[in-house]
Amino acid sequence: MKVLVALKRVADPDNANKVKVSAAGDAIDTTGLEWKTNPFDEYALEAALRLTENGKTPKKREGEVVVVTLGPKESETMLRAALATGADRAIRIEATDAELDGRLVAWALKAVVAAEKPDLILLGKQAVDGDSNQVGQRLAELLDFPMATFAATLHEEPGALLVGREVDGGVLTLRVTLPAVVTVDLRIVAPTSVFSKLTAMEAGFKHGDGVRFAPLPAIMAAKKKPLDVKPLAELVGGAVLATKYVKFERPAQRAGGAKVKDVAELVEKLASVSKVI
Amino acid sequence: MVDKKTVSFMRSLCMGQIEEDVILPFPTIPSAEKETLRGVVRSLEQLLDPHAADFRHWDRAGEFPLEFVEELKAFGLFSLVIPEEHGGLGFGSSAYSRALQEVAKYDASVAVTVGAHSSIGMRGVLLFGTDEQKARYMPKLATGELVAAFCLTEPGAGSDAASIKTSAVKDGDDWILSGNKLWITNGGIADFFTVFAKTDEVDGRGKLSAFLVTRDMGGVSSGPHEDKMGLRASSTTTVHFDNVRVPRQNLLGEVGKGFKVAMTILNSGRTGLGGGSVGGMKKLIALSAKQAKDRVQFGKPISDFGLIKQKVGQMVVDCYASEAVVSMVAGLNDAGYEDYAVEAAISKVFASEALGRTADEALQIAGGNGYMCEYPYERVVRDSRINRIFEGTNDILRLFIALNAMNDAGQTLRELSKSLEGVFTDPIKGFGVVSEYTLRRVSMATGYNRHGTTFTKLDPSLKLVAGIFEGGTRDLATASDRILRKHGRAIIDKQFATRRLADIMIDLFVLASVISRVDSAIVERGAEQTKKEHEIVTVFARQAERRIKANMDEIDNNVDESIKSLADHSFELEKFGWDTL
Repeated sequence: MKVLVALKRVADPDNANKVKVSAAGDAIDTTGLEWKTNPFDEYALEAALRLTENGKTPKKREGEVVVVTLGPKESETMLRAALATGADRAIRIEATDAELDGRLVAWALKAVVAAEKPDLILLGKQAVDGDSNQVGQRLAELLDFPMATFAATLHEEPGALLVGREVDGGVLTLRVTLPAVVTVDLRIVAPTSVFSKLTAMEAGFKHGDGVRFAPLPAIMAAKKKPLDVKPLAELVGGAVLATKYVKFERPAQRAGGAKVKDVAELVEKLASVSKVI
Repeated sequence: MVDKKTVSFMRSLCMGQIEEDVILPFPTIPSAEKETLRGVVRSLEQLLDPHAADFRHWDRAGEFPLEFVEELKAFGLFSLVIPEEHGGLGFGSSAYSRALQEVAKYDASVAVTVGAHSSIGMRGVLLFGTDEQKARYMPKLATGELVAAFCLTEPGAGSDAASIKTSAVKDGDDWILSGNKLWITNGGIADFFTVFAKTDEVDGRGKLSAFLVTRDMGGVSSGPHEDKMGLRASSTTTVHFDNVRVPRQNLLGEVGKGFKVAMTILNSGRTGLGGGSVGGMKKLIALSAKQAKDRVQFGKPISDFGLIKQKVGQMVVDCYASEAVVSMVAGLNDAGYEDYAVEAAISKVFASEALGRTADEALQIAGGNGYMCEYPYERVVRDSRINRIFEGTNDILRLFIALNAMNDAGQTLRELSKSLEGVFTDPIKGFGVVSEYTLRRVSMATGYNRHGTTFTKLDPSLKLVAGIFEGGTRDLATASDRILRKHGRAIIDKQFATRRLADIMIDLFVLASVISRVDSAIVERGAEQTKKEHEIVTVFARQAERRIKANMDEIDNNVDESIKSLADHSFELEKFGWDTL
């Protein structure tokens, strides 16, 4: 199976308190931010790696995993990390976040799919910075491919994938014919979430829990794996942004609390200060 | 341009010369290695963080399980400094030191296992190995198929490496190696040993030579796992060599040059230990900051209290300074400087003692909890204690630091007295030397700005701290001059005086490193973004200034003789001499 995985570089969510809004309020100030791969995209990559191996020899790829991102030169750090964990090739589409919205990203990915002809396109269910939750769905529509979102399990079948989606009160199982677009949720990296046609045969087989990490020799080997760079215009023609951010602002600072001495005062404050009664 | 083969910042400094080009700009990790390092740091977190509870357990058990050592091998943790062509990461000293910092944040036993392999165990092959030796061993050392150990110490030869008893006797083309080595880190898991042994008694004394020995040569055995105070999970054993037949091609370097080989390895590997110390400090600061904010007493988090702030603030200064001096030494090594033994020794002494202070204060901040094994503090205190002992005790290193400087100053004084004789036979030549020496002395005494006695390239905002450094440099020259004139050749036995000089030198080199680091930070990020670092350098400079002054005062005005007599008194009685009963 050939899998295309789309990755996005996001500001490290663990350092979210360092995110600053520019003085004019028109953009996020990115200086000094630490970057990492969007966690849901990392899960998509892990799922792709599990789908392309037999479970016993994880270094041997049964098929191909190609990772793609839209971003500046610095986002190649993320691509190299993906190559180190097992992806075969990487593509970077030269662009800055300000030049992109979900629609343009989907168009660019459509062009990549046309060139690469993967059996499956895997994406995170959404990026944790913008939380737009659009790209997978838009891409499926543009390609006219079957789609499954928020996948929690993936089982490979001949020419198809059985996708488990966690919904309120149960699991919804879909069978999508390949080629297809699938976006994944966090439980996709649980030990028994993904089975390729090779690992499924092993009774009682379990993957490691969570995403795998690169041993040091793989980090060195990743430097020699192919990484192609394409200009955005080549993929989307003259298309321009359809979505524009109007304004960014920080959440209002929480006003300090106060201690009340009795119920009477509490009732009085709820009426006069919080105005909830 | 400075000559990297001969110039040493500290040796020059002892002669009153500030070689600012050696330490400016502050060394950085090369960008290709930085990129790799980011991946390494991320992977290390994923490898080691899930073992947090195991590390505590393995400390109590006193041993790593074999599977974990295998996990480290498969991960490639033994390949850090091995060149890329032999299957390693090819890290230089700076990147290696930074990687060990990261490992030490999780567990000191892991750091020392990796460090004993990379810093010293296999470093001899890297530095002195023939192409054939490299090709034969490096790929296996990279994968961990061979874990390396450094075998210098013996029961009767600790700091005094010259008294080694292990012998290597020529037998045809081979050497027959016999002897016992003590406290060998990785002794139980290593299959590759860099061994130092006395070779054929050339002039009745015998000289040291270095050999590459593998367990499969036969006759190599390890003693039981030592029960240690700290670093308990790491393997420390005796290693015995019983008539081991070592082929000629396994001689490392030249016959009789073993002492130099050992010292060069230890110098080159110092930044590993230094990096580990810095990593430990960073972890302790994070633990202490959290503890201070969470612990409420008298209705306030204890982070509000001055005595807690004093401890944490000092930890920050110590950590920043340690990282500066360790990075500086790593940078000197990477830049190809050959004479940096004094600087490397200073970095080891300073960083290991700073870690000791930091661990002790972090435990104190945690109070009673700090003393409980449930919390991480007592383990860090135990684990870090050895840093002041192994790879050269800090006491021996202090003597080494100061005696090196004094040797240079002594040379100049000798040259001076020689040329004074020459004044009568060769007035012109004599005049040159005398005037050079006199000028330097005058310049030092007066602070008059003469080339090479001040910093010229620093940001103007560092004027105050540069002034403190320059003042300290004059003090150092005065101190070494006074000590030499007072004791002459007998200086070798004047360890009280030597220690004072060493402490002045340590403060000065660390200060120079901190100044360099802050100066480069200002250049890179501007004054506005580096205000905190400016505070750090100011604090360190003023603290160093006071210590230097105290050491200067004590050269002529001290209680050394009383202290010595009290020590001798106890040696004679073999106990404390007074009882209240």
